[in-house]
Amino acid sequence: MDNTGQINDKDKKPEGSTHKIGIYLWIWGLLFVLSFFSYLVDWYQFQGMLRWSLILFFMFLKAGLIMAFFMHLFWERYALVNVLLWPMTAIACFIFLMVAEFEYTLFTRVFYFFVGGGA
Amino acid sequence: MSDEYENKSGYQAQSSEALTGSAGSTPDMDYVRPAELPEQDLYHGHTFITKWVFCQDAKVIGVQYFLTAVFTGVVGLILSWLMRLQLGFPGLAGFITAEHYYQFVTMHGMIMVVYFLTALFLGGFGNYLIPLMVGARDMVFPYVNMLSFWMFFVAVAVLMASFFVPGGPTGAGWTLYPPQTILEGTPGSGMGILLMLISLALFVIGFTMGGLNYMITVLQARTRGMTLMRMPLTVWGIFTATVLAMLAFPALLVSAIMMTLDKVIGTSFFMPTILKAGEVLEYGGGSPILFQHLFWFFGHPEVYIVALPAFGIVSDLISVHARKNIFGYRMMVWAIVGIGALSFFVWAHHMYVSGMNPWFGFFFATTTLIIAVPTAMKVYNWILTLWRGNIRINTVMLWCLGFIVTFVNGGITGIFLGNVSVDVPLSDTYFVVAHFHMVMGIAPVMVIMGAVYHWFPLITGRFLNETLGKWHFWTTFLGAYSIYFPMHYLGFIGVPRRYYEMYDSPYMTSAVGMNEFISTAAFLVGAAQFFLIFNVIKTLKTGERAPKNPWKANSLEWHTSTQPPEHGNFGERLPVVHRWPYDFSVPGAKDDFIPQTTPPSEVAHTKVEKT
Amino acid sequence: MSDPKIDGFELKPGFKGMASDTGSDQTMFKGVHWGKAMMWIFLLSDTFVFSCFLIAYMKGRGSTPVEWPNPSEVFALEAFGVPVPLLLIALMTFVLITSSGTMALAVKYGYERNRKMCGWLVLATAIGGLTFVGMQAYEWSKLIHEGVRPWANPFGAAQFGSFFFMITGFHGTHVSIGVIFLFIYAYKVFAGHYESGKRGWFTTMKGDYVEIEILGLYWHFVDLVWVFIFAFFYLW
Repeated sequence: MDNTGQINDKDKKPEGSTHKIGIYLWIWGLLFVLSFFSYLVDWYQFQGMLRWSLILFFMFLKAGLIMAFFMHLFWERYALVNVLLWPMTAIACFIFLMVAEFEYTLFTRVFYFFVGGGA
Repeated sequence: MSDEYENKSGYQAQSSEALTGSAGSTPDMDYVRPAELPEQDLYHGHTFITKWVFCQDAKVIGVQYFLTAVFTGVVGLILSWLMRLQLGFPGLAGFITAEHYYQFVTMHGMIMVVYFLTALFLGGFGNYLIPLMVGARDMVFPYVNMLSFWMFFVAVAVLMASFFVPGGPTGAGWTLYPPQTILEGTPGSGMGILLMLISLALFVIGFTMGGLNYMITVLQARTRGMTLMRMPLTVWGIFTATVLAMLAFPALLVSAIMMTLDKVIGTSFFMPTILKAGEVLEYGGGSPILFQHLFWFFGHPEVYIVALPAFGIVSDLISVHARKNIFGYRMMVWAIVGIGALSFFVWAHHMYVSGMNPWFGFFFATTTLIIAVPTAMKVYNWILTLWRGNIRINTVMLWCLGFIVTFVNGGITGIFLGNVSVDVPLSDTYFVVAHFHMVMGIAPVMVIMGAVYHWFPLITGRFLNETLGKWHFWTTFLGAYSIYFPMHYLGFIGVPRRYYEMYDSPYMTSAVGMNEFISTAAFLVGAAQFFLIFNVIKTLKTGERAPKNPWKANSLEWHTSTQPPEHGNFGERLPVVHRWPYDFSVPGAKDDFIPQTTPPSEVAHTKVEKT
Repeated sequence: MSDPKIDGFELKPGFKGMASDTGSDQTMFKGVHWGKAMMWIFLLSDTFVFSCFLIAYMKGRGSTPVEWPNPSEVFALEAFGVPVPLLLIALMTFVLITSSGTMALAVKYGYERNRKMCGWLVLATAIGGLTFVGMQAYEWSKLIHEGVRPWANPFGAAQFGSFFFMITGFHGTHVSIGVIFLFIYAYKVFAGHYESGKRGWFTTMKGDYVEIEILGLYWHFVDLVWVFIFAFFYLW
């Protein structure tokens, strides 16, 4: 009498809905390794674009692994996956525009500091 | 608690025979695949408190939302009266100081947009109609739904409390722009703004709980045969608006938190270095533009959170009362979804004169004009639905027609304001005020009125009085135009908005008479709303009793076991849906409507489309 | 999880499946529990909250003409007499990922109806979370001792402290709420509520091990947000 659908069905064999333990341990290990690598980015004090690309690369890889396997998104049906991922385009646009905006704000601040505010 | 979940015999899961089709020996054409989920078990309240106060029935929660929102709306209306009193007849009411005027402006704006329209459409109509229209017993999480209303109630209480704290409510304008919002000298910069921010945060939390319910009910709890493309457009509108709200309110929450920190512990997220009477304040280094971006990232979707449910509801009302299927249903759905998606990419058209990156004007003017396309398609479809329809000119239809005209008006002025070069001289004039009141004030309110006249028989079992209704409509419609048409002109001659008084400015000569006229009209329109309140009170006791399905509509809410529907909505069996809700005037059919539950075999001889 | 079986409906894979799922009646997310769908949508909304925080941080940091403090030095910790950059943060990341792993295993054992294993793993996750909160409290107090305040700090731009305390504070709040629920759920697992179907008070639904997955989603999300905070706040 509840809404759990198929998963709750007590007669069902449990193996049908779980994954082998190995995959979790693998991902777990990978996450530690990737975190270690992103720590090394700071340890070796990489700078500039190299630092940025490494940071973002490890970040997205870790985030992707967590979402895909720990949060089971890899095994979910596309209907759910797409509903969750498409709204991120709004965030991407927001980020993109705010990058342009902070550059412009910084520009005006520095510009008017030297030029003066009076018209 | 669990003993109160007694499963009435009628609420048992359908037996296996019942799952294979609608009845024992129907032809294959009537086959609808079996239920995926067992029946929902409901909590049935027994006491007054569990039945009417902390109630878990979405219909009662909807009415609670509705009444609370209407209460805040009346407060907002009274504030607008006071503002018009000052603008039309400066100095006539001595108690309205400049500070009071700003507080009225702010509270009127915030109340009407967030606490009245949003709560009324999503909380009120959403709660009442979604489960009924998709064929669910209730919202999927009734307890969370109940909490959602009470959180909203607390938010309203906190907001109303701000009228009575020292310094009064905030007077920073409904957009709450820093830095002046939290600086001394702005009315209500002490407790007032704090309570406003707390109230907004509570509203967001409460709404999130409700919004999850609306979304999951639509996506995961539809009845057998109810595909997304068979849902009434009302549900589509409310659903899409809920999605927008779930994604836009976070920006409001974040900006409220950051501003609270600026106010209370002296951070400088939004506060630049400020000189005050020759002294440098503690603040420094923050970015006021950042607040504007966050606020409008919420604020523009918010416009559509109000508009989309109105679009959806009015589509249904027009279709039912013109006895014609909605023209271009799929186009309507995609237009709603498209507008919803695009609304996250247009926000900075509210900020053309703010001093943001000048290149943004290009981007946002383009996206803003693109969003006009699906909006215009919807207007064409409404008109084409009316074309050669069997139109009943009753109160509901009048409100719908009023909506279409008003919305077209407001929409066209929106095209003006979407273009940077036109917007710059019109910014912060009464043209803007006229535009947004037409498009997201009057237009949605007209839909609300139409919806009230339409669904009142469902909710109470009685009709509202038609004569009073027509008086209500014509006074409101003509009055609203008397208010907002002249206001466009005021904007063109350059009268700035949010000014307490014009004093001896050059605007005086031509604007004075017009302001008096607008104010008089505003008093009348406000008073005209008491037609409705009187109508409701009168007909609740003595109104004509409505028969079942009085408008001969197809959608599921009119085909419940009892009218008004009881808890659980559909009695023993959930309905099985075979078609969309717009099969009106089908050639060859017995009646001029075919309810969604009619199986194909019963109408096989008619020219009904497969939907 | 893996595809459910649904009477009279063929589950197609990939985008074809997405189209047929979306076009079908009753449910759009086939076989997804209501509570799980609710948690996913809530997390989507919460993602927008954290995104707005981080975007605000980016805008604030990017537009300040004052020098931004170097996180590598500010968050360094003395170990054996040498300052090690980001040592505490690395440990916190380690703890949080550990707890994320135990949570993932708890979900697995929950679905296998292995009550003991599931319970211990949820408890381990709770303790991991508690350790994280404790370390964060230590980090905060250390910074406060060094004179970092939300409105000012001795290292550079005032917004550094503002954003730091606000964002890590908001994340820490999420972790703390998660820890409370983890302890409650650990109790519920050991007490067998998910086997007897005892009704929870919040969603008033009958207990089931799917609730462990729902809680797991929340906990992984907290970890996910930390990945972004770690990258943008400590490494930038």
